[in-house]
Amino acid sequence: TIPNMDFYCSLASSGCRSVIMTAKAVGVELNKKVLNLSEGEQLKPEFVKLNPQHTIPTLVDNGFSIWESRAIAVYLAEKYCKDDTLFPKDPKKQALVNQRLYFDMGTLYDAFIKYYYPLFRTGKTGTPEDYKKIEAAFGFLDTFLEGQNYVAGDHLTVADIAIVATVSTFDAVEFDITKYANVNRWYQNAKLVTPGWDENWEGLQNFKKMIQERLANLKNN
Amino acid sequence: MMDLYYMLYSAPCRSILMTAEVLGLELNKKKVDLDAGDHLKSDFVKLNPQHTIPTLVDGKFVLWESRAILIYLAEKYDPDEKLYPKDAEDRAVVNQRLFFDLGTLYQSYVYYYYPQLFEVEKKPANPENLKRIDSAFDMFDTLLEGHQFAALDRLTLADVALLATVSTFEISEYNFVKFPNVVRWYENAKSVVPGWDENWAGCLYYKDLYLGDILK
Repeated sequence: TIPNMDFYCSLASSGCRSVIMTAKAVGVELNKKVLNLSEGEQLKPEFVKLNPQHTIPTLVDNGFSIWESRAIAVYLAEKYCKDDTLFPKDPKKQALVNQRLYFDMGTLYDAFIKYYYPLFRTGKTGTPEDYKKIEAAFGFLDTFLEGQNYVAGDHLTVADIAIVATVSTFDAVEFDITKYANVNRWYQNAKLVTPGWDENWEGLQNFKKMIQERLANLKNN
Repeated sequence: MMDLYYMLYSAPCRSILMTAEVLGLELNKKKVDLDAGDHLKSDFVKLNPQHTIPTLVDGKFVLWESRAILIYLAEKYDPDEKLYPKDAEDRAVVNQRLFFDLGTLYQSYVYYYYPQLFEVEKKPANPENLKRIDSAFDMFDTLLEGHQFAALDRLTLADVALLATVSTFEISEYNFVKFPNVVRWYENAKSVVPGWDENWAGCLYYKDLYLGDILK
């Protein structure tokens, strides 16, 4: 089938940015449909019909609706890649990619959520313990990247793309990545080799503004 | 035989035990007592630098993250697609439910219960976080509308992972009776997933060890 992909997204969202980069790497075009979450556009009945969880990103490929950015990334790679470099078929190589994807969701980006998202609810960041969890997560990633140029094997996979979306989000709020030498080395290379990097960085700027406004308010109050 | 570093009280470990039952796999089970700090001993950290359980060792290959392990076991040992389809679209739905399990449903357990149970200074229950659980169950209930299983029209890895998670909510006495699709799915899953008894034994063990202070 010829892909026909409606992509419901918001460019500030790291999940959306990772799918945009993955689509570029796979070589498929997305018809981007930006949803304004602060106006509740994701709660409109037409969208809830597509995704009862009404989250973004959501991809609709010829009527097949899928959400969760990392599930979308794997889907695009499995369905449309001519080879299996972005998402290996070999069970062991694939498992390593999957472990990194779950690490990204459950440990790395989770630490971002716990420390920075409260800024949007309460105007305050998370606790010092929450900040330590960010440092622990970067510590683990640094260990994974010892002697490695990519997070899961010897070449770019969907795991690198997901994690660069996350790490760039930390970068945008000026978390000091340089303290983690392996992560920093990997990140500087990722910026050069990840398809769609420029669009990712552009999409981040709006999110960066939102966070920095709240961090500034925190300092002044 | 593969080694599984685990503890029976841990939900993610239990999902692997049930999956191994379905696939007829034998696992060499090795306990890692987290309370005694076994996971921080150098031998284990050498194996898994993130020092988490479950950790699977298959020959020289070491893997952690329970849902990555579930998929690996299926990819390697489930050629008949008993638990994990080969079709990209079907597989994507199973994957989405696995990410829902980690990122939304089990996360809501962490937000509400972990500060009461596992922090150095235990905190009182936060009603805002109870709402988060209700919201996650409401979402699961919606996904289950008109379906017997969590992802496709048959049992998959998603059901097994979600069963371990939901049984942990049950033993913690979170009442989900107001979510009829979840209740229906849960009663069915308990009866069709092999290894349910061991999973429930793990839940009871979890209750004995940790839940005493918070249950009435």
